Amino acid sequence: MSGKNAELETMASTIGARAAVRPWRLMGFGYIIPSLLLLAAFFIAPLWFVGEMSLREGRLPPPGGGLWQNYERLFLDSFYFGVIGETVVLSLVVTLICILMGYPVAYFMVRHASARLYNLIIFFLIAPLLTPIIMRTFGWQVLLARRGLINEGLMSMDLISKPLSLLNSPVAVVLGLVHVLAPFMILSIASVLSGIDRRLEESARMLGASRGKTFLKITLPLSMDGLGTGAILVFMLANGSFVTLLLLGGGSLQTLPLLIYQQFNTTRDLPFAAAMSIVLLVLALVCLFFQLRLIRRKGA
Amino acid sequence: MARLAEETRESWALGLVTLLFFVFLIFPIVVVVAVSFTSANYVSFPIEGFSLRWFHRIVEYEPFIDSLWVTIKVAFASTAIAVLAGVPAALYLVRWKSAVSEYLMALLLSPLSMPMIVLGLALLFYLSAIGLGISLTSLIIAHTVVGLPYIVRTVAGVYRGAPPDQEESAVILGASRWQIIRYVVLPQIKPGIFAGATFSILVSIDNLPVSFFFGSPSTSTLPVVMLSYLEHQFDPSIAAISTVQMLIALIGLIIIERFYGLRHLGTPE
Repeated sequence: MSGKNAELETMASTIGARAAVRPWRLMGFGYIIPSLLLLAAFFIAPLWFVGEMSLREGRLPPPGGGLWQNYERLFLDSFYFGVIGETVVLSLVVTLICILMGYPVAYFMVRHASARLYNLIIFFLIAPLLTPIIMRTFGWQVLLARRGLINEGLMSMDLISKPLSLLNSPVAVVLGLVHVLAPFMILSIASVLSGIDRRLEESARMLGASRGKTFLKITLPLSMDGLGTGAILVFMLANGSFVTLLLLGGGSLQTLPLLIYQQFNTTRDLPFAAAMSIVLLVLALVCLFFQLRLIRRKGA
Repeated sequence: MARLAEETRESWALGLVTLLFFVFLIFPIVVVVAVSFTSANYVSFPIEGFSLRWFHRIVEYEPFIDSLWVTIKVAFASTAIAVLAGVPAALYLVRWKSAVSEYLMALLLSPLSMPMIVLGLALLFYLSAIGLGISLTSLIIAHTVVGLPYIVRTVAGVYRGAPPDQEESAVILGASRWQIIRYVVLPQIKPGIFAGATFSILVSIDNLPVSFFFGSPSTSTLPVVMLSYLEHQFDPSIAAISTVQMLIALIGLIIIERFYGLRHLGTPE
């Protein structure tokens, strides 16, 4: 009897000891090596290569061009610097509109929708994310055309006397981008809103705060993480978008991705295109840094 | 009573905003589907009459059909490679918790955060420099890099929710490493693999900013051909092919819902 017990005890302690020293591991480090090799060879190396290329002599070297000539041209030439500015401003405007439009929707789906409606909303948020990008742009092209539904509608209401040129304008670009990116914002806000302890709001209400005040002092601050995550994501995606700009902007807005596309397609100034890519990449990395910080904070 | 009324009013107001938002979100897509059934020679909405002629037209237009095959080949091949590389990596990172593993996870997911146009340009330069150039192989490599994070993310999400008890029991009962993976872990993570693979396929099918750089008569994917078509012509055939492509995506979405549940996608980890 005691022998059996001792045996069990030894077994338990061996398992325990093993767990304490090093938890039993099904997967060794070897499991991650294929992925790491893949990314090292075809993700990090190419980006490094672009960095190197951006330091080569471009097609239009400025007088006395040194190692950083492409970057000097990008930041000192008022046209190119303007392009960087336009990229950032456009992304900021789109992000702001997504917040203003997305917050009420996220709030509604978390606080007011039944479980069935909630699932339906999720479906209708995700389905457009998977519809072809060209399709969505094409839809806006049809609606915003000179004789399109929007112009005809405004004219029949006598709001305008002749068709507005909506297509190939910044308005079309902003509409198109908000259309593509707003679901990301809503999903980020909704996921944080649904985690807020409702008793905090109840307490504020019971202590006499009005609905509006409760929202401003309790709900909004608590949902800031979701707002931040969504805003960074939307900003990042807007910065890199180019299909919408190409098809709806018609040259009315110049952004970095569009310029990269043109440099590649027509001018063929590859080192200069590489320098622009690196600037876009750095913008993305800054966003990524803030995103990781937010996620870290949420986890803590 | 007053409070209840206030809440009802809020509910109605927000509901209205939500409804308007979804009209904004869905209407442009509905317009394209409608235009694809037009009988007119030109794009107009509302449509003049009903016909399937534009669907006939896309079947007859060779570049669309050729590029559709390229697209399907690339989507499935890149997803297969991404699954083979990504699944083990996700399994390892979930069970191995340390500061380093957190960074490795961030690295594996980082292609998601890169501007696609930068990634496309970088891969084109690099793959040309190492001699692969514009080829189907290059295209598949590029799409694998883009698809990998989707696999890693969904598989890690599912595996994280599976308690390690069953694996530990299997070890104690003397199962070999392979048996545990085959009979314990794989059934647990299957929904994650399916959902991640479906995602990776859908993202690959609709990828334009990366595919665009690898365009040539034999390597142009469907979106690349559609873009160049749209730059020269504006007729309902783009609407017809979009409708077909959307149908494929909807089927994919239903598969994801079945195996994984769309609700999980709403919550970023």
